[in-house]
Amino acid sequence: MIPLLQSLVDAVSAGAIYALAALGIGLVFGIMRLANLAHGEIITGSAYTLIFLWEFSWPLALIASAVVGVVIALAMNFAVFHWLRAQSPATLLIASFGLSILFQRLYDAAFGTNVRTAPVGSGLSQSIAMGGIRINILSVITIVLGVVLLIAVHLFLTRTSIGLQVKAASSDFRMARILGVRSGFVIAITFAISGLLAAAVAFALTTQSGAVGPTFGVQATLFGLVGAVLGGLSKLSGAVVGGFAVGVVLSLFTSWLPPWANDFRTALVYVFVIIALVVAPNGLLAGRSKKDRT
Amino acid sequence: MTHGKAPSPTAVRRLLAPAWVVDLWTLAVPLAAVYLFTSAGSALSGSARVDLGYALVNLIIVVALWVFVGNSGVLSFGHIGFVAIGAWTMSLLTIEPLVKSNLLPTLFPFVQDASASPVVALIMGAIMGGIVAFLSALVLMKLNGLEAGIATFALLQVIVQVLTYWDKIGPKSGQSMVGIPASFDLPVVMSIAMLVIVVAWLYQQSTSARLLRASRDDIAAAPASGINVFKHRVIAFAVSGALAGIGGALWAQTNRVVQASQFNLDFTFLTIAMLVIGGMLSLWGAVVGTIVISTLNHFLGLLEGGLEIGSVTVSIPSGSRLIVLGLSLILILILRPGGITNGREAVWPFEKKLDFLTQAQRTFD
Repeated sequence: MIPLLQSLVDAVSAGAIYALAALGIGLVFGIMRLANLAHGEIITGSAYTLIFLWEFSWPLALIASAVVGVVIALAMNFAVFHWLRAQSPATLLIASFGLSILFQRLYDAAFGTNVRTAPVGSGLSQSIAMGGIRINILSVITIVLGVVLLIAVHLFLTRTSIGLQVKAASSDFRMARILGVRSGFVIAITFAISGLLAAAVAFALTTQSGAVGPTFGVQATLFGLVGAVLGGLSKLSGAVVGGFAVGVVLSLFTSWLPPWANDFRTALVYVFVIIALVVAPNGLLAGRSKKDRT
Repeated sequence: MTHGKAPSPTAVRRLLAPAWVVDLWTLAVPLAAVYLFTSAGSALSGSARVDLGYALVNLIIVVALWVFVGNSGVLSFGHIGFVAIGAWTMSLLTIEPLVKSNLLPTLFPFVQDASASPVVALIMGAIMGGIVAFLSALVLMKLNGLEAGIATFALLQVIVQVLTYWDKIGPKSGQSMVGIPASFDLPVVMSIAMLVIVVAWLYQQSTSARLLRASRDDIAAAPASGINVFKHRVIAFAVSGALAGIGGALWAQTNRVVQASQFNLDFTFLTIAMLVIGGMLSLWGAVVGTIVISTLNHFLGLLEGGLEIGSVTVSIPSGSRLIVLGLSLILILILRPGGITNGREAVWPFEKKLDFLTQAQRTFD
């Protein structure tokens, strides 16, 4: 069946985007016990940068959007989360909610409620014919980008000294500190990587839509977070697979649900989320229970 | 052995003030504050009265939120869903039948025919909110911490999505319900808000709420002491959902236009921020937070519209309210995580500093 393969490619590409969002959120959660709702506003910041600079110079736009992502992530850490490190995960969550709404209003005040548009990556939105079916280049590129970044983060965490420190701090923060891991530095590095991942998500999403508004990053963050919690925030691979699954399921629902049910696809996804959480509160893929950071 | 000079804690307490006076004080102060706030607001201009209407409705919603969050210590992002259900009930029951059949032709016949007086509709809103909260609590209340937060958020999304798209119980997606009569004026809304505070206070005094607070303070020890945490959370969630339904019903007749997309994350944020800024763990905190933020928002709203001070017109960009609210919330969390009241109820002021034992006993009450 021809459209099946096409919808599968689309689904995998949607899954790749949410997997990247879930990875960015999961990394920070692992080290801070912070489920950062304001991750979406990092995505939005990077996306605005792409939109504004793309027609001026696209390589510059790409670099600048990555820099903006990292800068916003670090700024959030040093201005807000750094001061809340002793607080409970619930307090951190509320703070990130406040930060998220704050950034949305600031974007609104600076760039207006209406979307800003630019043909970001317009060359990529063509389709190629392959064996009788048409496949969107953008979907393929999104998948490749997702795979490359996932491998890069994996290599960073397992092969570099700093990465190993992040990993150690993530599995047992206090022990890692006692063993000489510089906590402030490791947290900053983690935020920086989540900023880079947010910039990648921003690129994938802006090439799809070409339009950015103040709440641009909210959806990707919510589904990424939901996926990460479903898969299990205590284990990065769980978070990534969870994010991926949510993207795939949503995309398949969009292509295959009958029209009357299609309206309810988001509701269906969230019903699954509730069921999955009740069945496996620590995440469907979590190996062990979470440890609180003190 | 002589114990003559060391009276027992209860004796000390009786000397100072009867326990019921101290307890009632925690109810009287919030009620008085709401009364004074409403009186002051009513004395001001027309726009203040409009804002006051919304402030009282928000007060009900925040107190409802406190009933669950404050007593259980579990965060809920889902209460605006019960507010939406209350608003839906009020709208469907009180819009003129003729207007309703033109506006909402796709309704189930029994919904189409249903009609009620505003008071009955308000009670129905509470019942519907309570039922949905009770049923969802049976599923959700097994969860703790972050998972509970995400699950209540998922619940909000499910409710809002269903209300958006299911045209058998509401308008077609993207359309709104209009023509909801404004049945209650300010004094009535204030009385209902006070009644909601009394219900929340009575709940707070109940055994169930005390046991729930014990589980809030130590989630490991409470079940070990034989407390059925699940049961008491379900009760709190249902009571809280019913009160939120009342808030929703009043919101509908205050706003008079109801659409599913209004029950969004901004609304959720506003109510959570009010609760956290006032002090999440006390009823007094819920009241203080709502009054402070509503007052602040009113004056920011005036500034957004442009305020003339002498010969200078001061104005700030629209959207400043949420910017200030976001900043206030973050600052409170950093500087005073317990909120303005630091999670305490209104304290009986005519009492000398309590000795250690009495203080300990108060803490356990």
